[in-house]
Amino acid sequence: MSLRTFILGLTASFGAAWLAMVVIPYLKMRDLAPLADPAAKSATPVFFPKRTGRIADGAMVYAENGCYLCHTQVVRPTYAGNDLYRPDWGGLKNDPDRGDTRRETNAFDFLGEKFAQIGVNRMGPDLSNLGRRVEADYAAGSDPSEWLYVHLYDPTANPKLWNSKCPPNRFMFEKREIKGSPSDDALPVDVGAGFELVPGSDARALVSYLLSLKKDHPVPAALDFAPKKKDGDS
Amino acid sequence: MSSVTSTTSDQDALLRAGIDRSLRHPVMFFLTSGAAWLAVSIFLGVIASAKSHSPDWLSGCPWLSYGRVFPAHINALVYGWGMQAGFAVIIWLMARLSRKECTAVGTILTAGHVWNLGVSLGIIGILSGNGTGMPWMEFPAFAWPVLLLSYFAILIWSFIQFRVRPEGHVYISQWYLLAAMIWFPWVFITANTLLHCLPGHPVMGAAINAWYRSAMIFLFFTPVALGAAYYLAPKVTGRPVFSYSLAKLGFWSLAGIAPWAGMQKLAGAPVPFFLPYLGAAATALLFIPTCAAAVNTLRTMLSCPETLAASPSLRFTTAGIVGLIVLAISSVFLNLPGSTLRMTQFTLSGYGFDMLALYGVFSLIMFGATYFIVPRVTRREWLSRRLIKMHFLFSVYGVIFVALVALFGGLMQGMGQEAWQQPWSPVAARPYAVTITFSWSLILFSNIFFFLHLTLMWLRLGRRSSHPTLLVPSHGSGSPHGEEGDIDNVGPAHAH
Repeated sequence: MSLRTFILGLTASFGAAWLAMVVIPYLKMRDLAPLADPAAKSATPVFFPKRTGRIADGAMVYAENGCYLCHTQVVRPTYAGNDLYRPDWGGLKNDPDRGDTRRETNAFDFLGEKFAQIGVNRMGPDLSNLGRRVEADYAAGSDPSEWLYVHLYDPTANPKLWNSKCPPNRFMFEKREIKGSPSDDALPVDVGAGFELVPGSDARALVSYLLSLKKDHPVPAALDFAPKKKDGDS
Repeated sequence: MSSVTSTTSDQDALLRAGIDRSLRHPVMFFLTSGAAWLAVSIFLGVIASAKSHSPDWLSGCPWLSYGRVFPAHINALVYGWGMQAGFAVIIWLMARLSRKECTAVGTILTAGHVWNLGVSLGIIGILSGNGTGMPWMEFPAFAWPVLLLSYFAILIWSFIQFRVRPEGHVYISQWYLLAAMIWFPWVFITANTLLHCLPGHPVMGAAINAWYRSAMIFLFFTPVALGAAYYLAPKVTGRPVFSYSLAKLGFWSLAGIAPWAGMQKLAGAPVPFFLPYLGAAATALLFIPTCAAAVNTLRTMLSCPETLAASPSLRFTTAGIVGLIVLAISSVFLNLPGSTLRMTQFTLSGYGFDMLALYGVFSLIMFGATYFIVPRVTRREWLSRRLIKMHFLFSVYGVIFVALVALFGGLMQGMGQEAWQQPWSPVAARPYAVTITFSWSLILFSNIFFFLHLTLMWLRLGRRSSHPTLLVPSHGSGSPHGEEGDIDNVGPAHAH
């Protein structure tokens, strides 16, 4: 076998997979046709989640601090896993306005992100709909961002999460002396008399991002794999 | 040297000694700095693993938070140790098998320093909170062109040596090493340009990242390990390779199957439907190339059981090949789309699989190659049989615990995740995590001594003896190493 044949063989065997698995799907998925947004009321109803400003900064904080190592952001269809059956992963089972909003993750949910943080290991719960969940459940009746700040500062402080393995991110917060009246942003955490705890810029960005995670937006019929049954249907 | 006494074997020995001498510093540089990175990586791995069961430990320091230490651990292992051990073995084996002295020592050493600088800055980048958030590609974006250029400056010479070699047989090792030398830049450039320079759909980016991780294992680390094993097994036993056709089957099936593997990690994610399922099928089919090569090298080594027991190189290589068989079996059983894939997709078993491939296969065989190569390039023998034995025992038992506990614990974790009737709770993975921390600590201990042993050898403080360091006591002599002798009394020097 000459070097030429060898390299041709390698090029053919690798190149076929390279084109079919990587290059062509990548180019095809770059031009995803826009999706009509059934819930939008604007003139150009195109589904495009908000990913700008502080939310984009928060996605960077999420990536830089390795949140993806323990949290996934994908609700798999039922053929690939049981994620959809959980009451609050794919959406909310009993949303007061929309009823059952649960659905699997689709490609449009990630538009505008740099890299989809699908995740590698579920040491913690899936975060696809964390924003929805915090607002409707964890922090029901109180301030959702405050709940997330306290959680990020010390996850095990919450008696319901006493066994959490989520690392505390105290370095994202600032403990400072109260001068004059306390800050509006001060967290309800006891850090000693005369001191208050306020979130730093990373914590603010991260919480904006986490609250933006609401991947249960209504989809058009073409993408709705579990359409609502009409009243007459059994 | 008088032409009357000069024989072919003397000339051969002279040529080999010349090649070894020309490569002394490049090989020792890559092995020693690689071993240092290995110790750093395992140290970070111990911290990360301990934090996964005791999250409050060291939680005040952002540089040591789990989300930064864990990627630093993996990236130091892959780019600091893995790639550099690969460089050492490739440049030495390609020179020996092509029968060409290395003429670019200065360039290789310079590029090696640049590589280390790139890795160091990348690790600092991750720890300081500038990682990219893409698994195995967490180095900030400046690092990959640096690594790529120094890669070419290090390995282009081995390719040239192969081109200008005297005509002759192409060894099985050379197929694997040449292929790895071609596959790595192709995979590395593809993944990095697509993810850093040509932004596309974010989920497809995640799919390419998963493909990249699998390709690094099966298109670089595995072929380099097999190239070394196909050299060591016949060389140390003195027997021919068990089956040439099995070797061909093993090589070309790896070339045909491995590039399709990897995207099964995206099963259920919104990417084209065929990608994860082709990935799962290809990963399961990798059983064929890995087992073909494993059986072939194992049969070669087992043809000479007494050498196998005595030679550190063969003992490590055998352990690595057994690891390869376990890897082959787990690549089938962890990736069955109907049953196990959903349980292993997002669990600890992914880490177990990676560590099995990186430490239980690749690193063990690299240790075997190191114990063979270093005495030849330094012309000194290993100092201590006991250190080698300890390295072997701690490495093998350590990696058995790390990998098998992670694989099994991952399956348990997956079963918990799929039980959707139960409320979600952080799975009781504590016993697994504690075991992994403990096992990494053992591995760390032995690898610190491995690094020191290598450093002493590079300083040429090894034994000046012509007797190889074997793992069994030799018979009938006071010294465990046999009679001490000056290494220069034998070999090419006495042809002078």
